[in-house]
Amino acid sequence: MKARVVARGDVLKIVDLLRAGGYEVLAPFRGHKRDTWFDTVTDQNRGEIQLHLPNPYYPPKRFVLPHIERLLKVRREDGTFRVEPTYEEPKRALFGIRSCDVAGIYHLDRFYLGREFRDLYYEKRRRGLFLVNFACTDPELDIGEDCFCPCADTGPAAHDHFDLQLMDLGEEFMAVAGSASGESLLGDALFKPCAQSHVERRRAILADVRGRFKTTTSWFSATVRYVSQDAVLEKTWEEIGNRCLECGGCTYVCPACTCFTVTDRPAGPDEIERVRIWDSCALRGFTRMAGGFNPRRAVHDRRNRRFFRKLAHYFVQRELSMACVGCGRCAAVCHGDVGMPSVVEMIRRATAEKDRLEPIPSP
Amino acid sequence: MTPETENIYLPKLAIIDRVTDDIPEVKTFYWHFQDEEERRKFKRFRPGQFAQVSLFGVGEFPASLPPSPTEDETFFTVRRVGSCTAALHRLGPGDPLAVRGPYGNGFPMDTYAGQNLVFVAGGIGLIPLRSCIVYALRHRDQYRRIQIFCGAKTPKELMYLANLRQWGQTPGVECHLTADRAADGWTGHVGVVGSLFKQAGVQVPVENTTAFVCGPPIMFRFVIRDLLAMGFQERQIVSTLERYMKCGVGKCGHCCIGVAYVCVDGPVFTYEQIKRLGEDI
Repeated sequence: MKARVVARGDVLKIVDLLRAGGYEVLAPFRGHKRDTWFDTVTDQNRGEIQLHLPNPYYPPKRFVLPHIERLLKVRREDGTFRVEPTYEEPKRALFGIRSCDVAGIYHLDRFYLGREFRDLYYEKRRRGLFLVNFACTDPELDIGEDCFCPCADTGPAAHDHFDLQLMDLGEEFMAVAGSASGESLLGDALFKPCAQSHVERRRAILADVRGRFKTTTSWFSATVRYVSQDAVLEKTWEEIGNRCLECGGCTYVCPACTCFTVTDRPAGPDEIERVRIWDSCALRGFTRMAGGFNPRRAVHDRRNRRFFRKLAHYFVQRELSMACVGCGRCAAVCHGDVGMPSVVEMIRRATAEKDRLEPIPSP
Repeated sequence: MTPETENIYLPKLAIIDRVTDDIPEVKTFYWHFQDEEERRKFKRFRPGQFAQVSLFGVGEFPASLPPSPTEDETFFTVRRVGSCTAALHRLGPGDPLAVRGPYGNGFPMDTYAGQNLVFVAGGIGLIPLRSCIVYALRHRDQYRRIQIFCGAKTPKELMYLANLRQWGQTPGVECHLTADRAADGWTGHVGVVGSLFKQAGVQVPVENTTAFVCGPPIMFRFVIRDLLAMGFQERQIVSTLERYMKCGVGKCGHCCIGVAYVCVDGPVFTYEQIKRLGEDI
C-alpha cells in the first residue's frame, strides 16, 4: 500500500479536497466531555473538527444502514397501489472513522452484499462512501477504558478496507492508500514523499500504543471454541442473562449488528411508507410470533443468542468476518456490565474451570 | 457494467380472484400477479417454500405456499391470528395485495424418489404439507407407499377435508383421519394423531421412508416420540418451521436460530437438524 506524508497543518486540507471533489464530508466533533459525534463539515464548523477524541457511541454504521430507512412509498390509487422504492445514493466521505468501525463496515459489507441476496439499499449507500480511517495513537483521547481492538485484531490501525488511512506521527501525518480512489487522492500536491524513517516512526508509535490499552483480556479464541462446541454451561448464560436489563443498548451502539424490523406507517392521505428500523435481539418481542408463541422467552436465551451469533465459528466462517470488532461500545453503555469483554471473560473462566487441567504433583 | 441488483424488498402487485372459507378462522385466498412475467417466474416455486405477503399500511407476513407447482391456481391458506392476517381476512375478490417470493429451501422432492412417504399433520399443519402431497401424487410413479395421517381438535377443524377424501381414493394412497373429540355426526376415528399409528390394519413402513411432520408444538413432540419408537432415524423425519420474520431473505435476523436463518436455510429441516438448532419448536 502506497504511503505519503502530509504536514500537520495541512491535514484538514484533505477534507477540503474531498469536499471539492463533490463529497459530503462527515467528520468527528466534540461537545462537553465524552459527547462526540460525526457531523457534516461546513465552512463554519471546519475549524472545529477533532483529530483525536473518544469514538462517538452512535456508530458510523448509520451512514450505510440508517437507524430508520424508508424502503418504499405506497400510494392507494384507483383501487390499486402504486409502489415506489425510494433509494438514496449519497456521495459521502467519512473523515476520521476509527479502525474498529472500518472493520464494522466491512462486516456489514460481507453480510448485506456477500450472500445469496444482495441488499440494494445498502449497496447504493455503500457505493458512494469513501472511508478516511484515523489510526488511534493518543492513549488519552483516542483509547477509551473499554476499547479492545487489539483482542479483535482490528486496530489500533486498520490493516485494510479503508480508502485512505491517516496516522499522527507528530509533525506530520502518514497517509496510506487502501484503494484505487485513495491512491488517486494521494496524487495531490498536498501529499509529500514518505521516507523509510516515517515508516519506522509509525512502527514505533504502534508498538507503544498497543501497550496502552486498558481492556486487554477479551481473548476470543477460547470463547469462540467453547461457544461453537456448545460447551458453555447453562448456568453461565443464566448469570449473563440475570445481569441484562433488556434495554437493547448494546445492539444499537454496535457497529456490526445487522438486525432490523420493518413497519408500515402513514405518510399522508392515501399514502404509507414502509421503513426499516434497527431492531434488537435483547428485546422480548424480537421473536414473538403472531398469536403470542415466543420460542425465546427467557432473557438468558436472548443473551445466549446475541453472543452465539457473534462468536460461533459457523458465523465467522459464513461471513469471513467476525461480528465483534472490539470497539467497546457495548461495554461502555451496559448497565449490567455484560458487554463483550466481560462476557468473553465470564464464558472463558466458567467453562475453563469445568475442565481445567491442574498439574498433579509427583515426588 | 454489472447488472443492477434486484430489490429484494420490493413486493409485486397481485389481485385476489376468490376466497373460500375452510375451517373456523381459516380462509384460502386464490390470487394472481398483475404482471404476466412475475406469474411465470413465481411458478417455479418448490413445495415447502413460502412467500412474503404485503398488506400495505399494516405490514408483511410470511405465508406457506399450499399449492403444488403442478397446479394451475396459486393460493394462500391463512388463519386469522395477528394484525396482518386479520387485514387479509377482510379482503375479497378483486382486492389488491402484494407478494414477493418464493423463498426458502423447500422439500428436496427428488431425494425422496423411490421412498415411502408418510405425512403426519395436526390442524393447520397440513397447509405447508399440502404442496408436497399434491406434488407426490402428481408424480405418483416416483414414490412408493404414500400414507397421510391427519388430525384436528374437532372434525370441523380438519383442513382441506375435500382434498383429504379425494387423496384417500387414489390407488396406493392411505389416508387416515382423526379428531381429538367427536362431534357433528363424526363417525371416524377419535383420538390424537399418534393414536392412528396403533389402529388395526395400519402399518407404517420404517425402512426407506421419509416422515413429514407438521402441527402444533405439543402434537409435534408426541408424534416425534412415536416415530422414534417405531424405529425412525432422526434424519428420516422432516418438518417445516415457522418463525417471526420480517424480510424472508436472511437479513432482518428475526428467524435466526442456532446456526440457521429459517428463511434461507429452512424452513424445511430434518428432525436431526432441528434438534441441533436447540430452540423450542
